[in-house]
Amino acid sequence: MDLELEDLENTIQDDDDDNVQLTSAELIEMMEEVWVNEKFAPEILPHKQEVVDCVLGQISYMEKNLETLPSTDFKKGIHQLEVDRIRFLVASYLRHRLEKIETYVLHILKEEEQRGEREEELYLTEAEQQFAIKYKQDLEQHFENATNFYPGLPFEDWKSHIVAPNMNSFVFLKAKTAVEGVVIDPSRDDDEVADLTVGSQMILSYNSVTDLVKKGDVQLI
Amino acid sequence: MDPEEVEFLGEKQLVTIVPLTTDDDYLKLISGDFGPFRMGMPVKVPLWVAVQLKRQKHCKIQPPDWMEIETLEAIKNEEKLSRNFTKMPSKFYMVEAKQILGCASDDISRADEIRTIIKDIWDIRMSKLRSSIDLLVRNNGASAVVTNLTLMEINSIRPILPHTLDQIRRMKNFKPFHGWRSQDTSFVSDSRSSTSFHS
Repeated sequence: MDLELEDLENTIQDDDDDNVQLTSAELIEMMEEVWVNEKFAPEILPHKQEVVDCVLGQISYMEKNLETLPSTDFKKGIHQLEVDRIRFLVASYLRHRLEKIETYVLHILKEEEQRGEREEELYLTEAEQQFAIKYKQDLEQHFENATNFYPGLPFEDWKSHIVAPNMNSFVFLKAKTAVEGVVIDPSRDDDEVADLTVGSQMILSYNSVTDLVKKGDVQLI
Repeated sequence: MDPEEVEFLGEKQLVTIVPLTTDDDYLKLISGDFGPFRMGMPVKVPLWVAVQLKRQKHCKIQPPDWMEIETLEAIKNEEKLSRNFTKMPSKFYMVEAKQILGCASDDISRADEIRTIIKDIWDIRMSKLRSSIDLLVRNNGASAVVTNLTLMEINSIRPILPHTLDQIRRMKNFKPFHGWRSQDTSFVSDSRSSTSFHS
C-alpha cells in the first residue's frame, strides 16, 4: 500500500526540506518506535501528534473499507485484528503520556512554560496541555480542602517540592545512527565516553542520551 | 514491559506459510501487501497473520531456516563455548519459537526436541546474563553493551538491572551535608518514578 501520507509529509517538510514519502508500513513502524520511546523515557517526550493523526487516519480509512467487505471473506478477520493491534499501540502511547502528566504535572507545566518563554517547541499537545492544567487545578483544590481540616500544616512549604522524573535512571537503547563520544555519566566528573555504532545496544543513564532520543539518533528498547 | 508487549513487537517478523486454500487477491494490510495465496505456494506473511490463519486452518506454517535440530545444536554449542553472547539467528527467536511451536507443532518435525533445545539455549544465555550482571555491578559499571541480547532477554532483566544501577549511582553521589530535607524529597519522587514507568 504505497499511499502518500500528505499530512505527515507536509509537517515533516515544515521541519526540513527533505521530501519524505512514507509508506503506511513505515508509518506503523514509526508509531511503534514512538510508543517504545515514550514507554521507557523517564520524562515526557515531545509529542508526535502528526504521527498519531496519520495512524488514526489509516485506521478509519481501513474501517470504512471493511464495511464493504462481505463477512464471509477470511481476510476480514485479519484486517479487523490489524486495526485492533494498531489501535492498542496508539492507546497505550497516549495513556503513557497521560500517566506521566498525572505524576509530574507541576514539573511538566513549569517546563512547558519555560519552553514557551524561550519560544521553543512545546512538548504537550493542546489537549494534553488543557488536561494538565485542569488536573493541576483539581489536585490543588483537593489538597487545599483536605489540609483545611488541619490548620498549621506547612502546606505552602510542600508545594515547593515538586515531583520530578529521575533523569538519571537507566535505559536500554539501540543506536540508529553512529554516534561518537556519548558521555556515560554526566553527573560524575570522569569523562568516560562510549561510541555507538549502528545497531549496537547499550544500557546507559538516560541523561547521557536525552538529546539523541529526541533527535531520533537512538531508540529506547 | 509485559512479555506480551515484546511478543506484540515480535509478531511483525515475517514467516513463510503454505496456504491450504486459494485466494488470488492480495491481503492489503496497513502494514503492507501480502499474497497472493495459492494452494501449496509458499508466501511470506507477518507472524501474527500466520498464527491467525493457522488457527482457522487456512495454512501450514513453514518453520524459519534456523528452526531445525542441526542448526540449533550448533548455536547451542557455540553459545556454550563463547564467553560473550553470540548473535541469535533472529532477534525475536523466543517469540517466534513460542508462537510457531504453540500453534503449529503439527507442521514441524521433531517439535518437542526443537522446543527443548531452544529452551536450553535460553537457559545458557540467561545464566550468562546473570553472571555478567554480577560482574558489572561488582566492577561499578555505569554502562554496558548489550548488542547481541534479544528484546525478550533484555526485558527479563529490566525489572532489576536498571534499578540496581540507579541505586548504586545514588549511593555514590550521596553527599551527607547536602541537607536532609531536600534529600528526603528527592528520594520520594525518584522511587515513585522508578515504580511507575519501569515496569
